[in-house]
Amino acid sequence: MALMPKRVKYRKEMRRVRPRKATKGNYVAYGDYGLQALDGCWLKATQIEAGRVAAQHFLKREGKLFIRVFPDKPISKKPLETRMGTGKADVDYWAARVKPGTMLFEIAGVPEPTAKLAMVRAATKMPIRCRFVGRRIKV
Amino acid sequence: MHEKSPLLTAKHRERLGSRAAERVRKQGGLPAVLYGHGQTPTPIVLDLKEALAHIQKGEKVFRLDFPGSKDKDEGQMVLLKDLQFDYLGTRIVHADFARVDLNERVRTRVPIHLIGEAVGLKQAGAILMHPTNEIEVECPVHEIPDYIEVEITSLDVGHGIAAGDVKLPFADMKLITDPHAMVAQIVVQVEEKVGEATAAAGGPAEPEVLTAKKPAEGDAAKPAAGAKPAAGAKPAAGGDKKK
Repeated sequence: MALMPKRVKYRKEMRRVRPRKATKGNYVAYGDYGLQALDGCWLKATQIEAGRVAAQHFLKREGKLFIRVFPDKPISKKPLETRMGTGKADVDYWAARVKPGTMLFEIAGVPEPTAKLAMVRAATKMPIRCRFVGRRIKV
Repeated sequence: MHEKSPLLTAKHRERLGSRAAERVRKQGGLPAVLYGHGQTPTPIVLDLKEALAHIQKGEKVFRLDFPGSKDKDEGQMVLLKDLQFDYLGTRIVHADFARVDLNERVRTRVPIHLIGEAVGLKQAGAILMHPTNEIEVECPVHEIPDYIEVEITSLDVGHGIAAGDVKLPFADMKLITDPHAMVAQIVVQVEEKVGEATAAAGGPAEPEVLTAKKPAEGDAAKPAAGAKPAAGAKPAAGGDKKK
C-alpha cells in the first residue's frame, strides 16, 4: 500500500490548474542534497514509493532519506468502456502536486557522490525530468 | 573589516517593477535595494558577476561605490540582509542591503563548520544530522565572523550539540537562535518502509472522510447513495440522459 492521507475532508477533488512554478518547497531544507523536479506533474503515490525504494536500496543503511512530497490529491478515473455521465468516478489513485522546482527527495549523512548516485536511481522512477541539487547560499 | 570590505559598484535604479528588473538582469545587472538608518529605501543595480563573486565567498559586509555621481550613499557600509532566488534556486534575482556603521550591533546569520570525525559515526547505521547549519547572532559589524567552528570529535550516538553549546568567538556576541536548536547530532538510522508499514498495520484502503454522511438506522439495509456499480457493469436501461 502506497502513501495516502489518513483522513480527508472530501472524498473527491476537482482537477484544478497547476501553477507554473514552485514558490515553496523548492529548496533543500532538511538534508544536504536533494532531487528537484524540473517539470510539473501529478506524482503518483506508487511512483514516490518506487523512487524511495530505489534510493534507499542503493543507500542500504547509510544516510537518511527525506520524502518532501505527499500524495494528498485524489485522482478519479472512470472504468473502461463506461458511458459518460452518472457522476464523478471513483478515486483511482492518490497523487502529489509537483510543480517545476519542487524538491522531491532529500538525503543527509552521506558524501556527495553517494547521494548523487542514490538520487539518480530515484530519478529514473520519476515521470519527469529531475536534477540533483545541493543547499542554497544562505545569508 | 572596514579596509577588507569589498567594494561593490552600484548605480541608482530609475525604473522599478518586475519587467524593468528583468531587463536589468538581462543586461548583466543585479537589482537590489538599500535601506536602513531611517532613510528612504533606495533601489540600486549592482554588477551581477562582481556581486556574485563576493557573495559566493561568504562576504556579508560591503562598501558601495557610486561612480560618476555624488550620492549620499557613496562609500556607505552595507550588510547583506537577504537574497532572492528564482524558482529553481539557480539564479539570484534580487538582494537586500542594510546601511550599517562599523560599530553598530546587527543581527546576522553565521554558518557553522563542523570539525573532526565524530566517535559515534563508527557505529553501523549512525549518521550525523545537522538540522541547523547556521546560527543567528547579534554583534558589532566589524566582529561578524565568516564562520564558527564546532568541534564534534567527542560526539557519540544519542548525543547532540545545541546552539547554546556553541562557543562564540567574541565575548560580546549574543546568540539569538533558540539555544535548544540542534546543531549536530548522531542518530542511528532505523530503516523505514513507508508502504509496507502501512500495509502491515492493517491500515484502511481508503482515508476517513470527515464530511461523509453517516447512514441513518432505517437506511442501514439500503445501499449507500454514493455507491457505484461494479467496474465494467452496464448502466441501467434509460439511466443515461444523453443518447
